[in-house]
Amino acid sequence: MSTQNTLTGLLERDWSYRETLVGGAVGIFVTIAVLGLLLPESLWADLFGIITERSTLSSALRLSVPIVFAALGGIFAEKVGVINIGLEGLLIVSAFVAILVPAILGPTETTLFIPNLWVGFAAGILASVLFSGLFAVVCIRYKADQIIAGLAVWLIALGLAPFAATVYYGGVNTENLGTSLPTWTIPVLSEIPLFGAFFSATPAVYAMLLAVPASWFVLNRTSFGNHVRASGENPRALDTVGVNVSRVRYASVLLSGFLTGIGGAALSLGLGQFIGNNQTMVNGKGFIAIVAYLFGNYNPIGAFGASFLFAGLEAVQIRLQQVPGYAIPDSLIQTIPYVTVIVVLALVGRTRIPEAAGEHYESGDD
Amino acid sequence: MSAGTDARRTVESLLRRLVALSGVERLLISLAALVLAILVGAGIILTSGRVATCTQAAAVYFGLGFCYDPLEVYFVLFNGAFGQPFNPGIMAGNLVNPTWSPFTGPLTFTGPLLTTALFTAGWNPLNFSVALTLKETTLLIFTGLSVAVAFRAGLFNIGTQGQLVVGGLVTALVVGSLVPVLPGGLAGALLLVPVGVLSGAVAGGLYAAIPGALKAYADANEVITTIMLNFIAAQLAFVAVSEFFRNPESQVVETAPLPGYATLSSVVFPQGSDFSLFALAFALVLVGVIWFFLERTSYGYDLRTSGIQPEAAEYGGVDAKRTVVTSMMFSGALGGIGGAVWVLMVMGKWQTGVPALGFDGITVSILAGNNPLGTIPAALLFGTLKSGSLAVQFETGVPKQLVGVLRGLIILFVAMPEFFRAIGTNVVDLDADDSKAVATDGGVTGGDDE
Repeated sequence: MSTQNTLTGLLERDWSYRETLVGGAVGIFVTIAVLGLLLPESLWADLFGIITERSTLSSALRLSVPIVFAALGGIFAEKVGVINIGLEGLLIVSAFVAILVPAILGPTETTLFIPNLWVGFAAGILASVLFSGLFAVVCIRYKADQIIAGLAVWLIALGLAPFAATVYYGGVNTENLGTSLPTWTIPVLSEIPLFGAFFSATPAVYAMLLAVPASWFVLNRTSFGNHVRASGENPRALDTVGVNVSRVRYASVLLSGFLTGIGGAALSLGLGQFIGNNQTMVNGKGFIAIVAYLFGNYNPIGAFGASFLFAGLEAVQIRLQQVPGYAIPDSLIQTIPYVTVIVVLALVGRTRIPEAAGEHYESGDD
Repeated sequence: MSAGTDARRTVESLLRRLVALSGVERLLISLAALVLAILVGAGIILTSGRVATCTQAAAVYFGLGFCYDPLEVYFVLFNGAFGQPFNPGIMAGNLVNPTWSPFTGPLTFTGPLLTTALFTAGWNPLNFSVALTLKETTLLIFTGLSVAVAFRAGLFNIGTQGQLVVGGLVTALVVGSLVPVLPGGLAGALLLVPVGVLSGAVAGGLYAAIPGALKAYADANEVITTIMLNFIAAQLAFVAVSEFFRNPESQVVETAPLPGYATLSSVVFPQGSDFSLFALAFALVLVGVIWFFLERTSYGYDLRTSGIQPEAAEYGGVDAKRTVVTSMMFSGALGGIGGAVWVLMVMGKWQTGVPALGFDGITVSILAGNNPLGTIPAALLFGTLKSGSLAVQFETGVPKQLVGVLRGLIILFVAMPEFFRAIGTNVVDLDADDSKAVATDGGVTGGDDE
C-alpha cells in the first residue's frame, strides 16, 4: 500500500522524474567508477577509462553542439507557441548549405577578406533562417497545423539536400572541403587534465557555451523574453497590453531558425563534408534535441544538460566501437542514444507545455 | 451584361456550395496542393538546371539556358511511369503543323494537323513500367492506410517505416523457417503466403504497441517515439540479420532467398517485374474492409471519436487509453503487412536498406484526407511519381530524389488550407467558416499534449 502511495507520489511530481533521471545517471557513473577501480582489466575498467578520457569529453562537447543549438531553437519556438518539430529539417538544410557555399566559392579562399569557411557558416545559418521563415508564415499567417508543417519542413529538407547534392556533385554526399572548423586553444587553461577539453575546442563549442546562458538570460530577464513567454502562455493578455502577438511569434521562430542553423553549420563544417544518404548526417539529432528540451523543462541550462547526456552517450558509444575484444555489434550500440531518448521521454512525458502552444492566435483587431 | 453577371453569380453560388462540402473541399485542397507542389517543383528543377553542368541546354526560358526542362521532366515522369503510351517525339519540335488550315477545305489540307503521332504504336498496357508503377502503388496503399488509420484515431504514426521494416523481417524469417517443413508448389504457396502476411501484421502491430502504450500510459509524444523507433528498427533488423540470419552466400546483409512458390508471383504482367495482381487485389479489398470498419462498425466509431473528442469518447464509455494502444497496433499491423508484401512480392527476401515506403505513406494519407478510399488514387499518384522518377533520372539527368522534395512540398501545402482559401476568396468571395487544418480534421493533433 505504501509502495503504491510512493509510486503515485512519484508519478504526480514532475520534478522527481528529472531528479530520478539525473540521480540515475550519476548512480550509473558512480557504479562504473567503483567497478572499474575494483576490477581492473574488465569491461567496467575500460568504460571508466573511456568516460574519464579527455578525448571523450571533447568529442561529447563537439557532438553536443548541433543538439544544444537545435534544443535552444526549439525552446524559443515552443515558448512562443509554435511547436517546431522541423528542427531536424533546419539542421539538414544548414549543414548542407554550409558546405555547398564554400565549395562553390573555393574552400580555402576568402570573400571580402572573410575566409569562405565562415561565409559558408553564415550561409548555412541564413538558409535555416529562411526555412524557418517559411515555416513561420505557413504556421502563423496561414494557420497550418504545426506538427504537419514541421514534418513537411523535415521531409522537404530530407529530399532537397540529397537532390541538390546530386545535381552539384553527382552523388548524395558532398566532396570533402579539405578544410574544417579550426581548434582554438587557450594557453595554460587547456593544459588542465580532462577539463582542459573545454579550452581546446572549435569556435562552435565556445559559441555553444556562450549561447546557453545567453538564451536563459534573454528568455528570463529581458522584455523580449517576457513577450515570448506571454505569447506562448496567454497571447490574449499580451495583445491587450498592445504587443503584436504575430510579430513576437515571427521573431522568435526566426530566432529558432538562427540558433538551429548554427548547430547544423557547425555539424557539417566540423567534418568538412555533408553526408546525405539515408537520414543524412543529422540522423535524428533534431528529434533528440526536442526530447532534450522537454527533459530540461524548457530551461536552456537544463536542455544543455540533457543534450550533453545524449551526446556523451554517443561519444562513449563511438569510443566503445574502437575497443577491441567485445563482441557487441556496432549497430546495436548505436541504438543506445535512441533508446535513451524513448526512456527519457516516457519518464518525463508529462511535461507541461506552454498553454497556447500549437494554437493559432486571432487578434480581435482585424 | 446582365447575362454575364447572372452567369457569374451562378458560378459563385455553385462554388460556394461546393466548397461548403467538406469532402469536396478536401479534394480541392489536395488537388490545389498537388498543382502548387508541381509548380514549385518546376521552379526547383529550373534553378538546379542553372547550377548543373551540361553540354547543351535542355530548354531556354526568359533568354536563359537551363540544363533541365521542367515540362520535359514532368512529361518523362508520366510517360516513363506507364511505359511510354505517348510518343516521346511530341516533345521535340512543333507538334502542330503550322501550315495546316481548316479554311482551305478538307481536300486541300496541307498535311495532317499533327506532325507526329500522339501515341506510341503498339503500346501494351501490360508492360514493365506499368507493373513498376502498380508495384509502388500497392505498397503505398498499405503504408498510406497504416498512417490514415492512426490519423483517424488522432495519432501521428510516423513509425510506419519501422513497423514495415520489422514486419518484413519477421515475414522473411517465418516463411523461411516454414519452407523446409511444408510441401512445395501451390499447396505450399496457399499456406506460406497468408502465414507470411499474418506474421508481418502481428510483428508490425506489436512493434507499434510500444509507442501506443507509451502514449497512453506515459503521455510520451508518439511523433518522437515513433521516429526514434524507426532508427531502432533499422539498426536492430540489421544486427539480427547480419549476426544470426545472414545468407552466407551473399555479400549484402540479407536473409536467404525464399523459393519462388513461397512468394507472390506476377500474373499477367511480365515476369521479373516484382508486381503481383494478387497483392493489388488484396490491397484494394483491405481498403474496402477498413473503410467499412471505420465508418460502419461501432469499434470504428469509437476509434474516430476518441480521435476527435477524447473526452466525449471517454464519457460514452470508451476506454481511451486502450483505444490509443489498439489503434496504434492496428496501424502498425497495416505497416507490417506492407513489409510482408515488400518481402514476398518485391524482394523474395529481407535486405538491408528498406525503401522509405513508410514516409511516403504519410504523404499518401495526408493527400487522401486520411480517408481509406482516398488512399487508392493518392497511392496511384505517388506510385506514378516514384516509378517515373527512374525514367526522369535516366532520360533527363534530374536526380530521382526530386520525388522526396515533392513529397515534402505536398505535405506542406495540404497542411495550409488557409492559403488556398485566401486565394479562393480573392477570386470568389467565399465565406470562410472553419479554420481547421484539413489534414488533421480526423482528429486532435498528437503534439498537443497537455
